[in-house]
Amino acid sequence: MDRNYSRDLLKAIQKADRAGANAVVDAWAAGRSFHQVIPELLAPTLETFGKLWAQGSGGVSLATGYVASKVAEDVLSRLLLESASREAPALPAKGPVLVGNVEDDFHPLGRKMVAAFLRAAGWEVHDLGVDIGPEQFVDKAEETGARVIGASAMMFTTAKNVEKLREEIDRRGLRGRLQLAVGGAVFKLRPELVEAFGGDGTAASAAEAPALFERLWQQSLTFEPVSGEVRP
Amino acid sequence: MTTDSRPPRCIACSIFRREIESLQASGALDLAVDYLPSMLHMAPDRLDARLTTSLTEAEAQGQKVLIAFGDCCGHMEDFRAKPGIDRTEGINCCEIILGREAYRRLRREGAFFLMPEWALAWRQVFMSQLGLLGSNAKTFMQEMHTRLIYLDTGIQPVPWQALNEASEYLGLPVEVLPVSLDPLLASLREAARSASHHDGQ
Repeated sequence: MDRNYSRDLLKAIQKADRAGANAVVDAWAAGRSFHQVIPELLAPTLETFGKLWAQGSGGVSLATGYVASKVAEDVLSRLLLESASREAPALPAKGPVLVGNVEDDFHPLGRKMVAAFLRAAGWEVHDLGVDIGPEQFVDKAEETGARVIGASAMMFTTAKNVEKLREEIDRRGLRGRLQLAVGGAVFKLRPELVEAFGGDGTAASAAEAPALFERLWQQSLTFEPVSGEVRP
Repeated sequence: MTTDSRPPRCIACSIFRREIESLQASGALDLAVDYLPSMLHMAPDRLDARLTTSLTEAEAQGQKVLIAFGDCCGHMEDFRAKPGIDRTEGINCCEIILGREAYRRLRREGAFFLMPEWALAWRQVFMSQLGLLGSNAKTFMQEMHTRLIYLDTGIQPVPWQALNEASEYLGLPVEVLPVSLDPLLASLREAARSASHHDGQ
């Protein structure tokens, strides 16, 4: 009977067993092109994991979420190495996009996990770090041509600073063209705050961020380009 | 809410228990205090529910309330906005103890703070609650933080054995930072004064 690699990878992640998860990936890759590991094994497994995470079930803890993001990083690192030797792109290019913790927020875990899952999905991610003011976010978006900002905030007090980022995006006339994804514990507990604070969307778990960014990116493309921008 | 001259009832996180008891014993603070377990910080929805229950009881008795907590659950600011209720100023217990500027500076430097109660309960926090077992503990903490800082409020001896064990397990150096209880006292007094005069927003 064929081995169910996705189930085994999920089990290893749920045990927060990074080495075990990488062993499953290695076993899957034996005799296969490593370039298929993301679409055929990692992405579907992370999708299942993301659903369990969003439901708060299936043994998902901070540690398992962290290990899932590290497994995604491990796979991507290997893929980039192999691509460099083949002089071929590792993944289809997406982005650029930004992620950062809003002003006064110093909780990096969720943001780092989102960045890892986005990169594994092919996005060019600029990670700005913690305590990022609205001007810094929008300056960097204009500099890089990013169409999506992922703003992370853990608590209500800091999540309120998303409103300042919304105001800065609107003040520069970028509403719509520059989409605002928001996430963090308080948005999961109180989803109504996404709209209240001016977010364009959220994901129930970091593993579901790639799908959210894809949707917001497509939404952004329906808006007129800003002056001087060359649409891809 | 009815007006009365009673001091507000204080609902506090147990992370402050020894410090508040010390302030009460010294005569600096005259408040009746009920404590909720600090481990509720790890379950914000349960903290929300416990606070809702406590505040409803206090409201039924026409009592004003001082919440000695950080912004540790989703509705903390909604609670605070109610008439006769206010909260200690600060994002979390560490900011309440340290003050905003010191807290921000040290967090920017990558500090992970341990209050005395959590220093003694570090295994429960990191292993049971966060699930950081084996090599994941070091990898995780070293990626997110640069050092542990024990906030020594001077109430109990520095728990060196627990700190050294936590430092070894988490793979981070530990520092001891003596802190004054003055910011906590000032924050409690200000929130008590504000709750007494707060007629809602």
